[in-house]
Amino acid sequence: MIQLFHVSKTYPPNYQALTDINFEVKKGEFVFLAGPSGAGKSTLLKLLFRQEEPTEGQILIDGQNITRLASRGVAGLRRRIGLVFQEFKLLTHLTALENVALAAEVIGMSKNASRTRAYQLLRDLGLKERYDSKPLGLSAGEQQRVAIARALINDPMLILADEPTGNLDADVAEETMRLFFKIRDRGTTIVVATHDLQAIHRAGTRIVFLQRGVLSNEVRLSPALERRK
Amino acid sequence: MKISLLGFVFRRVRNSLWHLFWTHCLTAVTVAMALYVFGAFVFLETNLQRLLKGWGDEIQISAYLDKNLNSAEVQALVKRIEAYPEVERVKQTSQEQAWRDFQTALGGQSGLLAGLPRDVLPASLEVSIKPGHQDGPVVEQLARRLRQQKEFTAVDYPQEWVEGLGLVLLGVGWAKWIFGGVLFMATFFIVGSTVKLAMLARQDEIEIMQLVGASENLIQAPFLLEGMIQGVAGAIASLILLWITFQFLRGEMPSLGGFLMPLGRLTFLDLRSIGLLLVLGWLLGAAGSVFSLRRFLKSWNASRSEA
Repeated sequence: MIQLFHVSKTYPPNYQALTDINFEVKKGEFVFLAGPSGAGKSTLLKLLFRQEEPTEGQILIDGQNITRLASRGVAGLRRRIGLVFQEFKLLTHLTALENVALAAEVIGMSKNASRTRAYQLLRDLGLKERYDSKPLGLSAGEQQRVAIARALINDPMLILADEPTGNLDADVAEETMRLFFKIRDRGTTIVVATHDLQAIHRAGTRIVFLQRGVLSNEVRLSPALERRK
Repeated sequence: MKISLLGFVFRRVRNSLWHLFWTHCLTAVTVAMALYVFGAFVFLETNLQRLLKGWGDEIQISAYLDKNLNSAEVQALVKRIEAYPEVERVKQTSQEQAWRDFQTALGGQSGLLAGLPRDVLPASLEVSIKPGHQDGPVVEQLARRLRQQKEFTAVDYPQEWVEGLGLVLLGVGWAKWIFGGVLFMATFFIVGSTVKLAMLARQDEIEIMQLVGASENLIQAPFLLEGMIQGVAGAIASLILLWITFQFLRGEMPSLGGFLMPLGRLTFLDLRSIGLLLVLGWLLGAAGSVFSLRRFLKSWNASRSEA
């Protein structure tokens, strides 16, 4: 699903954010990108959804080289990827339902169809009663579930999550991780960048460590959370 | 673009027009002011052209007769001049007729003529020129030929007026584009600034739309449409203002003096000029938006990359 070959990223004037990264994520796999702040996790995710271009190397997603894509190609790529962020990135003037539906509307789904689909997703994620609330009226955990629903609405092949539990307390973080595993079980590939070691420990699975922009280690933990889900 | 996307674009435009109503209004007013000044020059030019054409159609050469000519000599002279190819007709004005005409022209002030002999004004021939021969050089040549006739003491025609008005018309034509151009440039940047404000107000939305895979065209379309709406609304407002000005001037025509009387009635802009103003408004809005959009998205995307 994801292949990185000798990927480096340098920010001007001379900040080396990533150095010679090589790794592969298979279809349906769940991978944590772990490491301290500034290790390059977010930069690596940005390369995967093409907010950034690598300075060197090649990135293939689902067989497509995304290293040099025109803006139309970038839009096409992002339609196949669901994104989840620490700060949720919800529009405060829209309701939960409208926030989720927006992602489908912008790619051409009709207003009614996108809202129906958004409602189904919110219902599945336990937000049936809150679909009409605006983000500021929702708890952090609920906001993150709305963001996850938005990431899911276009049936993505891949979900990229950048510190998705960073603003959540432990219980809600665990619940959110469990949600990601459920999504993975449907066949969606998931890459989560986090420095939350507790979340990783609870979850288990494949972990790729980054240290100062270099891939330092790769382990597989016992998937305790997976067994408990 | 799909119908559903068009619906999405229109909904966003409607929301933006509602949320930034006064900003959009101010921009439309700016467009209206620029187009009003331009339209006023077009209006002036149109009416001056009509005035000039009216004068051209009625252009006559006045040839004053020697007092010593007898009736037969005058008739022979009239026949000779009527035979010139560029002459439409020749009208003879006697001394008595000239006196009465002058008296009529003076109206209430005709008492000034009291005590003057009635033959103080010379008899004349009013030479009308055929349509198609009313160009300056032809008239000039005919006047020269008449001056060569020994029966005339003086030959007169409103050459200076016609040439002077022609120059004014030329000046108005240039001023229209110079003033208009400066105002259009200013308006162009003001429309651009409004679009930039709208984009700043909705940058979170733009970011999320980009992240979920909206195309650049879809992101830009609402802003472009807003610019066009501002431009066309401004053009319509300018036309309304011009119409009000036109109605006011038409009402005030009698008090504007004899100079404008040959105009008879002022005319409003023709359909072509109205269309020009609407297209200019639309273009100003569209061009200002596109310029601002490109600049904003370029710098904004760069700043997102660095974030």
